[in-house]
Amino acid sequence: MRLSVRDPHARSAGSRAAVRLFIGRGTPVTLRASQPSFLSPHPPTALLHIVPRTSTLLSLPAFSATLTSRRLAAQSQHRPFSSSTHRPWIWENIAEMAAEPTPEPNSQALRKYLQQSHDKIFESNKKWAEEQKVKNPEFFEKLSKGQEPDYLWIGCSDSRIPAEAITGLGPGEMFIHRNIANLVCNTDLNVMSVVNYAVRHLHVKHIVVCGHYGCGGVKAAMTPQDLGLLNPWLRNIRDVYRLHEQELDAIEGDKKYDRLVELNVLEQCRNVVKTAAVQGSYKKNGFPIVHGWVFGFQDGRLKDLEINFEKMLEDVQKIYNLTE
Amino acid sequence: MSDALDRIVAGNRVYAQRTSEHDPNTFVEMGRGQAPEILWIGCADSRVPETTICHCKPGDIFVHRNIANCVHADDLNVAAVVEYAVAHLKVKKVVICGHTKCGGANASLADADLGVTLNTWLHPVRELRRKHKAELEQLADDDARATRVAELNVQQGIEVVKQHPTVRQAVRDRGLTVHGLIYDIPAGQLRLLDDTRATGGSGLWTPANH
Repeated sequence: MRLSVRDPHARSAGSRAAVRLFIGRGTPVTLRASQPSFLSPHPPTALLHIVPRTSTLLSLPAFSATLTSRRLAAQSQHRPFSSSTHRPWIWENIAEMAAEPTPEPNSQALRKYLQQSHDKIFESNKKWAEEQKVKNPEFFEKLSKGQEPDYLWIGCSDSRIPAEAITGLGPGEMFIHRNIANLVCNTDLNVMSVVNYAVRHLHVKHIVVCGHYGCGGVKAAMTPQDLGLLNPWLRNIRDVYRLHEQELDAIEGDKKYDRLVELNVLEQCRNVVKTAAVQGSYKKNGFPIVHGWVFGFQDGRLKDLEINFEKMLEDVQKIYNLTE
Repeated sequence: MSDALDRIVAGNRVYAQRTSEHDPNTFVEMGRGQAPEILWIGCADSRVPETTICHCKPGDIFVHRNIANCVHADDLNVAAVVEYAVAHLKVKKVVICGHTKCGGANASLADADLGVTLNTWLHPVRELRRKHKAELEQLADDDARATRVAELNVQQGIEVVKQHPTVRQAVRDRGLTVHGLIYDIPAGQLRLLDDTRATGGSGLWTPANH
């Protein structure tokens, strides 16, 4: 059983936020918000009705319950492509939880709820760990001996793109750095340490820089506004714009942002190629190879920007050669 | 080598297909925005993928991962992540997660030359080791010492995060909380770090404390 929550923040006024419940392989049930307050940026509570698409497949009783959309979201601990044995246990109690009214602010009941929702993460993690051990008794023992990931992933901090989940990889397979708008700045000790460690100590074979369409960081960078501490970080994206000003200025609307997302990935790939670690390792070992990808929310697919790595390296080394 | 790459490209196809099969609206909804409640600052280590080990789904956790989950006060990268997550996404909790068997913590037990980049990055962690030399020497082996260094480093990170101006304001105005975790790789389990000063010694976070 699983659940999805449409983001109430992004919905237009007048439309209704909806929550869908999935029970086993049965037909989804839709919960709809019946109060406009659900549409406010930080919805307090919403009265939800269960609207069964077909009633015969449902084991849930028909009921109305007051819930916060956030609370539902917080409780939907599932992996999108998990097997049935992987089904989150907490959903077994959804009917019970949904029937409870939202506790009053500062009440004893609220404290209890906060404690329980906090403890759930730990119980959920414990359950996951036990499942792994059943599937493979040596799983954690093997992991504790060390890591030998083939990939370094440099991606955006955005919560919707957990690298291992969208590539179907498990623990131990991908070394990961994530920051605002997947930037690789040559004076940033943080990302430079990651590249250094991944290349020189873990000997990764591939480095993937992955951006995504609709990136909030890229949009923020193009906003004519003082964003305080974010200014110097996002300045790097404005520099990418300036480098490709002609091409970008010829594009209208959202497509312009999409292209800036792609060009930003390409520039960050170049920045990875500029490092001594990558140049040195490639000369000596023939790896790592650098790739530029973009994740699209429309279909959940990765788009390969098809960088010609050798050509990029050659071009970069005309000026940034660090191998001699 | 291309096998390794084919694997994740194929893995992504499976992910996209299965997700759409479960709910054709998933990606449409995802495209509308994110509202994560948690900012996770963790280690880049491949064995600690936050979404998997917390049994969460895309959209749940905003993530920054670096070598040894360090939060250095002068690091613009992590500062930008914290600023964006706290001021703009308004996450409710900031979590700093260290782990056992951490290569960075282990390297910080000694002063081997890792090259100027990593030496500089790990310098504050090595300083922590020096500061807690007496305590660390009491421990049974390097494994235990590395775990203790990882804990100290998480606590140090919490101190730095709490000084971030936006975090201070969010703690004051809307009850944002900051937590330390240690992920035990051999056990596959998360442990909440005992922050004695914040909780009066009980270790576990309780709503009464906030």
